[in-house]
Amino acid sequence: MTADRNDPLLFSRLVRADGLTIVRQPSPPGSAGFAATYVAPAGWAYDPEGREGLAVVTSLVGPSAAGRRDRVALARELDRLGGSLERHCAPESAEVGVSGPASELEPLLGLLADVVLRPRFEPDDLERVRRQMFERHLREATQPGHRAERELLRAVFPKGSPYRVSGLGDHRSVARLRREDVRRFHRATSTSDGGFLVLTTSRSLENVQRSASRLFPEFPSEHPVGFPRVAAASAPRAAERLVPMADRTQTEIRIGGGAPPRSDPRFPALFLANEVLGGRSMLNRLFQHVREQRGLAYHASSDLEAMRWGGYWLAQAGTGPERAQAVVALVAEEVRRIGTRLIPQTELDRIRESTIGEIPLALETAGDAHELAVDGAYHGLSEQYWREWPALLRSVSSRAIREAAGPVYDPAHATTVVAGPGTPVAPVPRRAV
Amino acid sequence: MPGTAPRSPAAKRFRLPNGLQVILAPRPESPTASVWVWYRVGSKNEWPGVTGASHWVEHMLFQGSPKFGKGEIDQAIVEVGGTLNAFTDTDFTAYFSTVPKERLAIPLRIEADRMTRALLTDREVQRERTVIHSEREGNENWPEFRVDEELYQLAFRHHPYRWEPLGRKEDIRSLTPEALREYYHRFYGPKNAVLVVTGGYDRSSVERTVRSSFGRLPAVGADPVVKEVEPPLTGERRATLRGPGTTPLVAIGWRSPAVHDPATPATIVLDVVLGGETRLFSSGASWGRGGEHPSSRLYQALVDPALAVRAASEFRPRVHPSLFTVSAQAAAGVTLDRIEATIRKEVGRLARRGPTAEELADVRTKVRRGAELAYEGASRTGFRLGYFSMLGPAGYESTLLRRILAVDRAAARKRAAELFRPGHDVVVRYEPAGESDDRGP
Repeated sequence: MTADRNDPLLFSRLVRADGLTIVRQPSPPGSAGFAATYVAPAGWAYDPEGREGLAVVTSLVGPSAAGRRDRVALARELDRLGGSLERHCAPESAEVGVSGPASELEPLLGLLADVVLRPRFEPDDLERVRRQMFERHLREATQPGHRAERELLRAVFPKGSPYRVSGLGDHRSVARLRREDVRRFHRATSTSDGGFLVLTTSRSLENVQRSASRLFPEFPSEHPVGFPRVAAASAPRAAERLVPMADRTQTEIRIGGGAPPRSDPRFPALFLANEVLGGRSMLNRLFQHVREQRGLAYHASSDLEAMRWGGYWLAQAGTGPERAQAVVALVAEEVRRIGTRLIPQTELDRIRESTIGEIPLALETAGDAHELAVDGAYHGLSEQYWREWPALLRSVSSRAIREAAGPVYDPAHATTVVAGPGTPVAPVPRRAV
Repeated sequence: MPGTAPRSPAAKRFRLPNGLQVILAPRPESPTASVWVWYRVGSKNEWPGVTGASHWVEHMLFQGSPKFGKGEIDQAIVEVGGTLNAFTDTDFTAYFSTVPKERLAIPLRIEADRMTRALLTDREVQRERTVIHSEREGNENWPEFRVDEELYQLAFRHHPYRWEPLGRKEDIRSLTPEALREYYHRFYGPKNAVLVVTGGYDRSSVERTVRSSFGRLPAVGADPVVKEVEPPLTGERRATLRGPGTTPLVAIGWRSPAVHDPATPATIVLDVVLGGETRLFSSGASWGRGGEHPSSRLYQALVDPALAVRAASEFRPRVHPSLFTVSAQAAAGVTLDRIEATIRKEVGRLARRGPTAEELADVRTKVRRGAELAYEGASRTGFRLGYFSMLGPAGYESTLLRRILAVDRAAARKRAAELFRPGHDVVVRYEPAGESDDRGP
């Protein structure tokens, strides 16, 4: 039992009377640190029409000044305690987290409570963040990598889908945001019911609960935030988009399409498909075939984004314009193979055991381990999920992967985007090259 | 007093007869083990025609050695759930693997095999040429990379710090496999390396393995003195780059002291006062800088009053005198003249009056506490022990920390006056050009 209580792969969870879910994960053995994160249903899916960018702006302005402290005092207090504060905004949710030495857990958790419950949203901070957002708009438009991904998502998801956009809004929508918009958005989405407080610490769940009762006694809202309507990824016919961007040196390639949500029973099979295609560091097919065997590109990989309401997959590479055509063809061929052919058993075993073997590396520090707990909490995974993960992966057959991957990694419905210095790229072949 | 120094683990340090320096820092409770090999070779050891060789060798050490054929190094580590990579700097190159602790023997075998006997075949060197080109091209898409490259090229006319570790494009095109092999055989070997092993293992048994597998390697590997001495900057040098980008960007560089110069601790203090953080004593896994620092001078002078969207200073002590830089990205509609004037006003103020007592207290707090968790986990520990072994002898980290804490206002002011001498700097501006073809969401 003691071993279980100290196993960072096992977390414990309770739901408070006001609906707040508290999750406690043991710190990895020997760790002198802790990490805590509050997750709220405050992603850009909840941006009101015409106020696009509001979720990201709220997430950036909130941690600047809170409670009794302005931004300088808050930064000084963090320095004094040896802590750091992080925030992250995604389509569905927003997170704010604090980490630092375990000896300072209580004051740092108090600081997190200030940021979550009592943000000041100072006018100066809002203006600063607005300026930074304007610069990010330009960056998103002028960097081939950002641009290619954005174009891909626009093609994959219908208008109105939170997955279609980066959450930054545009110049007009961000210019329109007022302090009251930010305050209102915070009040509506900083909720106990539907919110999660996740701690990675050597303290017990009861102890964590006591701290939470004292520091997070009540939230601006106790009502769950209704889920927005999220249209499924459209399955457009295969399309190629060229985004000419003069005076760049590297061309960025993205091929992708829609994918099921995390809760879909096919997730473990699709997870393994992505690992084989381009996810598993260095062993994956894209890295091996595009970079190692042919020397065509520095980066070649794939991602699977499986969220609550939907998701997408993408395969990507960056290369010189003169090699873009060859790389597009190779990446497309690997996508086609993953959806149509059985993965040889030896290859599947190698990738799977690598994934399983990596678990200790995910537990090196409290911060590393914390990511597993936040993921588990948000997706409602069982308390033993990460301990059972190896067995779950081992139960997936090559045939099951092909069946799951076939309709997802389907070249007939994949979108290809090539952004960079203009060399025409021939249409993606539909058959093996 | 809590947080007075990074909690570095107990480590055994010794040198093998062939010159290899070894640092063993076991931590029994760790589920992982991490192996780092640091070579005292980087772009400082290159010369025109072979720029980028250290970085190219870095790529080649994953492409085969007698016991591990092409692809087998990656495979051996990743198959067991491990991770591996490498990076090249001006002064050193580091290779690392972190694996579940039961698999520690694998990275040790790999590092011993490739330390002096990597294959670097013609075919693989040629194939890797395009990969390296592609890596460089990817970087060139970023204005920040282009500004940095131009800044060092302007600041140094003789010293090898004038080129990026990635090397010049022309040299990447023309470097021959023979030249690369010659470079490798000259600089790589136990005499020029530090092996760091951290994490969950039994020290005596790993020490035996290290002594037998690395001890039999020949005593090769040179760390020659870099002969080129860069004369002081006499006057201002400036350049303007144009290309795709967001808002204008400016970087200013001043000649900074080498790592063992007595002026280094006070220069670090100035970096923290201006930019809010030092790479050396922060909690990051490597030496990346964290977020924004609202209490720093540059932030208050540039970001708060809406002149810039970001501003930073940077001083990373190197083996030879290098650059202290300040950079800022303009807010829309603000000219670089205004930004540059503001930066000069701030550094001038620091040179005249030094930091305030409150600022100095902040610096001390930051360096004391910033690295408190820097030794969490085997990988970070391996990085940190190895990195400081490149800078100085055992205990150098504590020595440096003590010296930083001892810097008073007068010493910081004096240092600022020496560092930020008007008219002795390098300026690179980046002006975005071309239209944005953004279509909106």
